[in-house]
Amino acid sequence: MQWATGPAVPVISVIVALLLGAVFVAATGNDPIAAYAALARGAFGTPYDITETLVSAIPLVLTGLSVAVAFRTGLFNIGAEGQLLVGALAAGAVGARFAELPGPLLMPLVILAGILAGAGYGAIAGVLKAARGVNEVITTIMLNYIVVFVMHWLLQSGPMTAPSALGTPASARIGDGAILPVILPNELVPLSRLHAGILLAALAVAVFWFLLWRTSLGYELRAVGLGARAAAQAGIDPARRMALVMAIAGAFAGLAGMIQVSGVFQRVFDGFSSGYGFDAIAVALLGKNSPLGIVAAALLFGAFAHGGAIMQSNAGISSHLVSIIQALVLFVIAAEAIVRGIAGRSRRGRKPVEAIA
Amino acid sequence: MTVDMVIGASVLAATLRLAAPILLAALGGVISERAGVVNIALEGSMLVGAFVGIVAAEQTDSIVIGVAAAIIAGTLLAGIHAIAAIHWRSDQIVSGMALNILALGLTSYLNFQLYGTTGTPADVPDLPTVADQSILVWVSLALVPLTHLFLFGTVSGLRLRAVGEHPRAAETVGIGVRRVRYAAVLASGALAGLGGAYLSLSVAHSFTDGMTAGRGFIGLAAVIFGKWSPIGALVAALLFGYGNALSTSLQGATIGDTRVPVQLLGTLPYLLTILAVAGFVGRSRPPAADGVPYEKEGH
Repeated sequence: MQWATGPAVPVISVIVALLLGAVFVAATGNDPIAAYAALARGAFGTPYDITETLVSAIPLVLTGLSVAVAFRTGLFNIGAEGQLLVGALAAGAVGARFAELPGPLLMPLVILAGILAGAGYGAIAGVLKAARGVNEVITTIMLNYIVVFVMHWLLQSGPMTAPSALGTPASARIGDGAILPVILPNELVPLSRLHAGILLAALAVAVFWFLLWRTSLGYELRAVGLGARAAAQAGIDPARRMALVMAIAGAFAGLAGMIQVSGVFQRVFDGFSSGYGFDAIAVALLGKNSPLGIVAAALLFGAFAHGGAIMQSNAGISSHLVSIIQALVLFVIAAEAIVRGIAGRSRRGRKPVEAIA
Repeated sequence: MTVDMVIGASVLAATLRLAAPILLAALGGVISERAGVVNIALEGSMLVGAFVGIVAAEQTDSIVIGVAAAIIAGTLLAGIHAIAAIHWRSDQIVSGMALNILALGLTSYLNFQLYGTTGTPADVPDLPTVADQSILVWVSLALVPLTHLFLFGTVSGLRLRAVGEHPRAAETVGIGVRRVRYAAVLASGALAGLGGAYLSLSVAHSFTDGMTAGRGFIGLAAVIFGKWSPIGALVAALLFGYGNALSTSLQGATIGDTRVPVQLLGTLPYLLTILAVAGFVGRSRPPAADGVPYEKEGH
C-alpha cells in the first residue's frame, strides 16, 4: 500500500489547492477563513452532518476503486460516470420489475444487476482496446455521453418512465426488498440517511485490496500496469488483462450506481449523479490508487460535497468553491513533478503517466 | 412524421446553428492534436468564453469587446493546459479534466457572485446576423478552408504537423517543438472561447451554469470522426449538428403508433466516433506523437 508509505504528495496537493482556493475567495471579496470554517462545520458540525458526509463519500469510494484498478493496469478509466449510470439503471429496472420479491431474493438480484451492467459497459472499452487497440480514454468519454442520452430516453419517454412526484423524469420506485436499510437508529442520529451501502463499500475496498495484492490475477494486472511489454515477456497477455480490468472497473462503478438507487433515491432520477465518476479520477489519484488512500480521499471529497452545500446556505458563498478546490487538487497532482519538488523527493526521469500507473 | 421535419429549411438552418460551436471546438482540437497535444479542456475554454463574453459585453455594452474577451478567456485557460502539458509534462488528460472542472467551478461561482440567483441581465448587445444566421456561424465556416490552407499549405502548418508526428525529427531540423505546441494549444483555446461566445452571446443571450453541456467533447468527437482534418471536422460537425437539429424537430413525432425516441439521436456523435476509432467506419488514426509529452535529448 503505497499511500501508507508516502502521503506527502497528496497532502501537499490538498494544502496547495486550499491555499489557492483561499486566495481566490479573498480576491472575490469574501473571507476565506469564514468560508473554510463554514465548509468544515457543514461537513462535520453535527452527527447528522457527519453521516451525510459519509453518504456522499460512499459512491466516491466505489468509483475511486473503479478508476484506480484501471490505473493499476496502466489504463485510464474516464468512464466510471457512465458505468455508474448503467449500473443504476439496471438496479432500478430490476428493483422495480421484481418489486414483490422478498428482500433476501431481491437484494442480491439488484446488486448483481448493478455490478454486471457496469462490468458489461466497462468491458466495451476494454474489448475495443484489446481487440482493436482503441485508446480507452476516447471510448470511455464517448460511452459516458451515450448512456446519458439513453437515460434521457428511458426515463422521459421510454420503457422505464414513471410519473415522478418531484417533476424530474424518473423510473418507478423499487421494491422494499431492494432498499438498503438505514443503519443508524433514528434515536441516535435523527433523520440520518446513512445506509447499508457503506458496508458494501467497505467490502469492495477489501475485495480491491485482495484482488490486487493477494491473487495471481492481481499480480498480473499490476505487472501489466508497470510495463505491458515486460509483462508480455513474462507470459502475461496484456490485451486480455486490459479487457478484463475494464470489466472489473465497470463492476465497481456499477455497484456505486446500484447503491445510490437502493440506498438514497429508491428510484432512478434523470441526471441523479453529480459527477461521482469524474470526481473519482481525483479520488483515485489523490489516494495513490491504494485502498486506504482512496477511502481517505473519498471522505475528503464527501466532506467537500456535503459541506459545500451547507456553506452556500449558511455563509452565502457559492458551493462551487469546492469544485474549484477539487479541480486545483487534481491539477496539482497532475503536475506531480512540482509537488515532488516541494516535498523534496524529486525523482528524476520518471514520467507522470508512469507514476500514475 | 413529415418530410419537412427531416429535411425542411428550418431543420437545415438549425443544423448550421448547432454545428457552429462544435465546429469551432473541433478546429481547435485539430490544431492542438496535430501539434501533438490532446486538449480535452476545450469544453472548459468554451465555458469560460461563454461566461466572460456575457460579462464583458454587459459591462461595456460592446459586443466586440464581449467576443474579444471570450477569446482571451478561452486562450488563457488553454494556456494553463499548455504550461501543464508542455512545460511540466503533466498527464494531458488529467490536466484537461482538472481544467474542465475548474472552468465549471469558476464560472458557476462567479455567476452566483455577480448575478446571484436572478441570472445574467437580459439587455446584452446582440451579434449581427447575415442571412438569418449569426455572423459567427459564417466565421466558423470560413475558418475551415483557412485552417486547411494553414495546415497543409504553409511552412508553419508543415512545422506544426511535424511536431505532432515526430517531434524529435522536427527538433533536429531546428523547429522549436515547445514553442509550436504552445502556439497550437493557445489557438485551440481561442477557437473554443469563440465558440463559447457564440453560445452565450448569439444563441442563448445569457449565461447559465454549465451551459456548454458537453459541446467541447462533441467537438473532440468531431476531431476524431473527422480524422484530424479541418474538412473532416466540418463534415462531422454538420452531421452531429444535423442529428441535434433532428432531435428537436422530431419531438413528439410518431412513426405508426410509436413515438420517435428523439433522445437517442443524441448518442449519434459518440456512437459514430467509437465506430470510427475502432475502424468500423474507416480507420481513424491520431498523429503519431499525439498526447505524448516531449523531452529534449539529455534532459
